[in-house]
Amino acid sequence: MTCERTQEKFADYLTGDLDEKGRSEVQKHLLDCSACREDLENLTVVWAKLGVLPEEQPGSAVRSRFYAMLEDYKAAQPVGSKSRWTDWFTFRRPAFAASFSAFLLLLGVGAGWFLTGARPGGEKYASLSREVQDMRQQVALSLLSKPSASDRIQGVSYSAEVKNPNDTTLAALFKAVDSDPNPNVRLAALDALYLFRDRPGVRETLVKSLSVQSYPLVQVALIDFLVEVRETRAIEALKKLIDAGELTPEVKKRAEQGLKQITV
Amino acid sequence: MNADHSEKEKTGRMSPTDNELMEAVRDGRVEKLAVLFERYQTMLYNFFLRLTGNRAASEDLVQEVFVRVLKYRAGYLGDSRFNVWLFQIARNAHIDHLRKQKPALSLDGQFVEVPSHEPQPDTAYENDREAELVRRALDRLPVQKREILVLFRFQNLKLREIAELMGVQVGTVKAQVHRALKDLSRIYLELQGGNVS
Repeated sequence: MTCERTQEKFADYLTGDLDEKGRSEVQKHLLDCSACREDLENLTVVWAKLGVLPEEQPGSAVRSRFYAMLEDYKAAQPVGSKSRWTDWFTFRRPAFAASFSAFLLLLGVGAGWFLTGARPGGEKYASLSREVQDMRQQVALSLLSKPSASDRIQGVSYSAEVKNPNDTTLAALFKAVDSDPNPNVRLAALDALYLFRDRPGVRETLVKSLSVQSYPLVQVALIDFLVEVRETRAIEALKKLIDAGELTPEVKKRAEQGLKQITV
Repeated sequence: MNADHSEKEKTGRMSPTDNELMEAVRDGRVEKLAVLFERYQTMLYNFFLRLTGNRAASEDLVQEVFVRVLKYRAGYLGDSRFNVWLFQIARNAHIDHLRKQKPALSLDGQFVEVPSHEPQPDTAYENDREAELVRRALDRLPVQKREILVLFRFQNLKLREIAELMGVQVGTVKAQVHRALKDLSRIYLELQGGNVS
């Protein structure tokens, strides 16, 4: 095999994509050709060196921009059924005016479309909307499990955009409030949960959080939340918290105030 | 991630393939693009980062690719692999980006370093130094050679896929990869010589 033919195989040789026959041909040539041998040695070194370049993650803004763009694109799309209405009234109206039978036909078709055609369209839209919501939840959950606090905050803000989050997403938010190592993530998760304050279980779970919460700022935010929604089940928890005597003076003051506000 | 391998994996798990998703996008279910975005955003970002050396520009280019995917979705035929089609769009976006750039911009100056918030452990120092050297060597390659190496080494595209992407014969791609690696090796050794302290 010539040097040229051998060198043509180097790319596949480096990736391991060369078959047995090709590999033995290359190796046979290398035994007799020091120039190709040196060439391949250098290429192997530089090929390995390229492996030290780390894979980087794009900033979280890339994801936000993409989803905003996708939402805008969807919003700008004409709704199929709308144009059908327009078509009917723009182009068929002369026929409607010209003859009564055409009018009846038009009316029949129009009514038929309205009663049957519009419903699947509506269902289709609802299904698309659900899929986008599901996707948002998946992204939110994935971000909430990242090591970077800014990613987790981004995950919280994604979950806040979900109209009706499922129990898994809510559980991830509760977990963030109770045990995220970063207090900013805890506060962001609490803010997100305020949007879902009327969902069954949200208030009860946050009452329980009062006893496990360790960050004073988050304790105050939790008390604010429970006072805001007038959660009477928090009364007992607040009393216990005050009696335990482990609160900072500021948190204790807010807890006492909150207790009065709820019981009024 | 190898595209073939991942496709098989996805099929095995009964997840929709890239091609199925893109066909759905083409047919009006544009929200399916979100899945493709999640699969490809990091890959595209690193493709652009290795070509431009600029993080902000690379993020803009990722966005530009998905804007173009929506714009040209009706033209997706599904007769070639989705990743080849996507990288065709990515290459064009990069070419347009280069046209807008000032020609006098030095290659060394293109890599905009963002200071890390994490403390640098001593053990990572040598790796970082070596990575920086490789990055500088890559930056000094002519853009066509850099592109072919990035596609082959980092995007895990097969030689025949790169040939399809570039509209050339597989043999031509093999020769180009060989030449690009040789040049990179020479540049790397030169830089290394200049960096010995």
